[in-house]
Amino acid sequence: MSLSPDFAFTQGSLQNFADCARRFELRFIRRMRYPALETQDPLQFEKRMRQGARFHKLVQQHLLGVPAEALAASLADDRELAGWWQNYLTRGLSGLPAQRFSEITLQTHLSGRRLVAKYDLLALEPGGSAVIVDWKTGSRLPPQSTLRRRMQTIVYRYVLAQAGAHLYAGESIAPERIRMDYVYVALGAERLSFAYSAAQMGEDEALLSKMITAIDNADEFPLTDDERRCRFCSYRSLCDRGGAGRLEDIELDEYEDEEEEEAFLLDFDQIAEIEF
Amino acid sequence: MTGWHTLADQASGPLTAAQWKLVSAPLQGKIWLEGVAGGGKTSVGAARVLHLLGRGVPAESILIFVPQRSLAQPYITALRGWTAHRGGQVSVQTIGSLSLQMVETFWFLVAGDAGFKHPQDLPNFLSLELAQYFMTRAIEPLVDQRDYFNSVRVDRPRLYSQIVDNMNKAAIVGFPISEIGARLKSALASGVEQAHIFDDAQTCAVAFRKYCLAHNLLDFSLQLEVFRDYVWAAGLARAYLRGRFKHLIVDGAEEDNPASHFFVNELLQSCESALIIYDRDAGFRRFLGADPDSARSLRDNCDLEATLDETFVMEEAVAALGAGLGAQLGLPVKAERDADPAPALITEAHRYHPAMVDWVARQVDILVHERDVSPNDIVIVAPFMSDALRFGLADGLAQRGIPLRSHRPSRALRDEPAARTLLTLARLAHPHWNMPPTNFDIVFALMAAIKDLDLVRAKLLTEMLYQDCRLLPFAKVRSTAMQERVTFDLGERYDRLAAWIDRYIDGDRVDAIDIFFRRLYDALLARAGFGFHDDVDAGNTAQNLVDSARGFRWSLDFMSRYDEQIDLSQDYVKMVDRGVIANFYLRDWIADAEEGLLIAPAYTFLLNNRAVDYQFWLNIGSDGWSRRLFQPLTHPYVLSRGWPPGALWTEEDERNLSRETLGRLLLALTRRCRKAIYLGYSELSESGFEQRGLLLEAIQSLLRRYARDGQNV
Ligand code: SF4
Repeated sequence: MSLSPDFAFTQGSLQNFADCARRFELRFIRRMRYPALETQDPLQFEKRMRQGARFHKLVQQHLLGVPAEALAASLADDRELAGWWQNYLTRGLSGLPAQRFSEITLQTHLSGRRLVAKYDLLALEPGGSAVIVDWKTGSRLPPQSTLRRRMQTIVYRYVLAQAGAHLYAGESIAPERIRMDYVYVALGAERLSFAYSAAQMGEDEALLSKMITAIDNADEFPLTDDERRCRFCSYRSLCDRGGAGRLEDIELDEYEDEEEEEAFLLDFDQIAEIEF
Repeated sequence: MTGWHTLADQASGPLTAAQWKLVSAPLQGKIWLEGVAGGGKTSVGAARVLHLLGRGVPAESILIFVPQRSLAQPYITALRGWTAHRGGQVSVQTIGSLSLQMVETFWFLVAGDAGFKHPQDLPNFLSLELAQYFMTRAIEPLVDQRDYFNSVRVDRPRLYSQIVDNMNKAAIVGFPISEIGARLKSALASGVEQAHIFDDAQTCAVAFRKYCLAHNLLDFSLQLEVFRDYVWAAGLARAYLRGRFKHLIVDGAEEDNPASHFFVNELLQSCESALIIYDRDAGFRRFLGADPDSARSLRDNCDLEATLDETFVMEEAVAALGAGLGAQLGLPVKAERDADPAPALITEAHRYHPAMVDWVARQVDILVHERDVSPNDIVIVAPFMSDALRFGLADGLAQRGIPLRSHRPSRALRDEPAARTLLTLARLAHPHWNMPPTNFDIVFALMAAIKDLDLVRAKLLTEMLYQDCRLLPFAKVRSTAMQERVTFDLGERYDRLAAWIDRYIDGDRVDAIDIFFRRLYDALLARAGFGFHDDVDAGNTAQNLVDSARGFRWSLDFMSRYDEQIDLSQDYVKMVDRGVIANFYLRDWIADAEEGLLIAPAYTFLLNNRAVDYQFWLNIGSDGWSRRLFQPLTHPYVLSRGWPPGALWTEEDERNLSRETLGRLLLALTRRCRKAIYLGYSELSESGFEQRGLLLEAIQSLLRRYARDGQNV
């Protein structure tokens, strides 16, 4: 069995490969759905995921023109979410270029494959800066070095440089104009920013290309040696890698991105609809 | 040939000059494209999208709008196949998906005006299964109390689904739900009894609507009404959609409903380019509100009209067959006198149904293994696909090594082995529900749950150890001979299952039902030595069940705000049993990706909109080919936009409708067939009755006429 010829790589699928080749194979090649529990406290985990999704939705509504007051009225029952919302309103958009695209998807190609990125927000000023904003609702600020290595940072900047011209008055966006901001709304909208450069783009392209080629040519997808990666993986029972991990140990932000991306890919594949 | 011509060809193969002219039409202008199936209209649509992108049109500004998702597949395939694309993403939407997104986005601006009692709370969109569930909750007390529908011999879930259907029809046509009863009565009520039934259906619809407004629930009808009457009317949403979508591709306009046409018409006024594709002989989704006449009104807002009537699909005899049958059944098509349809038909009469099924499998075998036809180029259709028929075919084809894919849009999730097993074990683990599984359920669940446990051993274990609604430990089997017969290895795994359930019963934690399924799956069933381990189908089914149960929980969690106390898990299992929940489950990751011969109800095949070399039409004596479903509470024509107020629906109307429906179906099938049609006929139906339906009659008269005309020549 091999990867479908029209498979679109995303930061999530590449991160899965980076974390565990076996997980990539099960999820994207064999397309196995394994509804195991991610954590020992599934309801609490679910509540956090839903809060995160709700926050993203609120921002999208706001950026499409729904007044902040109308949205705030709906938050009376969730003080935590209301706090994130307040932080977003106070600092979330400050200093960003005026032309904004929320929940937008861009696609480019590399090594004969599609590479897709779904952005929370792109804020651009043709001829000026091009800022990628990713909302994070986790309450732990990860080390800058960890975020720098994450596939999201690598893929998002690369895809924007490659495929964002039509949003930038038809000009291709020089890497030096691009910046990626992770905004931690649970931490007062604190920002971790990553600039970009032509040299970095060259390095990223080589890395992405190497990964895609490796996946396309792989005969085997070995299980990760780092068993910590198995704690929140739904294939634990298949790989015989123990039980679910503790909620306190999970990096919720990483999950949030993956859930969002999965929901999006499912929509893209199937066009969510209510049939009657 | 230009570069873009080559690019567009990628979408569907080489284009004719007429097609290319449409594909490469200027980027400003609105085209109405109509024709027959097989004329290459969708190829034009898919190539046009690539052409627009190739000309630098931003992908975000393109909307592909279809009546149902299967019709978008050629577009998605074309877009995915163009890996060289750099830029944004084209939107593919149906009226359902688009209205849901828009209502959700602008909810807080419109909920109060739309009459919802809690406009500051989130909306709760109902899938079909949840709409039926809440319909049951909202109206069942009324139905019981007032003895509604007592003379109608249809089970309640089906009655309620017809009330849902009436409300949907009102929304898509655009009349108030308060008019449903009057419209049905004036056209159909032949007596007091019948009039009461329609009055009851009306009362129930209004009661359900009130319930939805009071609880922030949106079934499809309400979602659509809120979209059209409030969201679209609000300037923000209209400005957003009009500002965004500048290029419109509408495919299958004739299969869509007036609400979709209204929306398309609105966008037509502001978009720069449009291509509207209309199949002249289709309109199969009438029972879902499709309105080809309303679709035609879109033509008035187009600048250019084009036709593609030359079919690329059929051989002469197949074309003659389609035209001949269409004309025979009264359609305004020209029968092709010069061509003889007989060579397109292959048949053999059988007395009994199983012999016909066997004949079909043999003929497929010959096609695939002796004549090198790809299984992808064969379809087997029948008006309905019973499980027995599907199983008989699947078995016969599997024995001959023929891969198949089977579309079962209405197969109940609870009938899938993995789901049945999880549901049975859930009942076992929740004795306080007082819903103990039967011995039969336990046998089945043990077999599915424990790898390599066969029927005989599963029965033995159940007889010996399933007592007082609990699974006793394996050690309770007194006789060593019996233990050896079951084997200690299987006994050990049985013990792990029984102990897990015991621990759950005795523990102090009661999980939500979807969490219970996941915990059991994770801790046991998906582990090595158990039945779901490394099993893709079981994983998919389990995930579907979890999704359905979680959707149920989320909807009802929400209700607890409004003081409705419900035992969610027990209610879920009860509703599954009644066939209300998990009765339709459309999400199946692998269905579309599979290769192989397709077995499907005839309309499902049509709505996949692809042609094949060979078709098998089964049960051609059945009147299911032409008869409408028995739906005493609703009516697709009387509740349609074109029905004249006050007109009566007569028996003659019904007969004419049967003929016309069958004629259109046959024409559409033949237009999707290249080489020949095999007719599966048995004198006795699956259930042993003689059959002489309209299809059989039409084929016989056609062949007789050609034989006679041939002799005269
Ligand atoms: S359980 Fe561990 S080894 Fe198995 S797929 Fe998941 S991460 Fe990889």
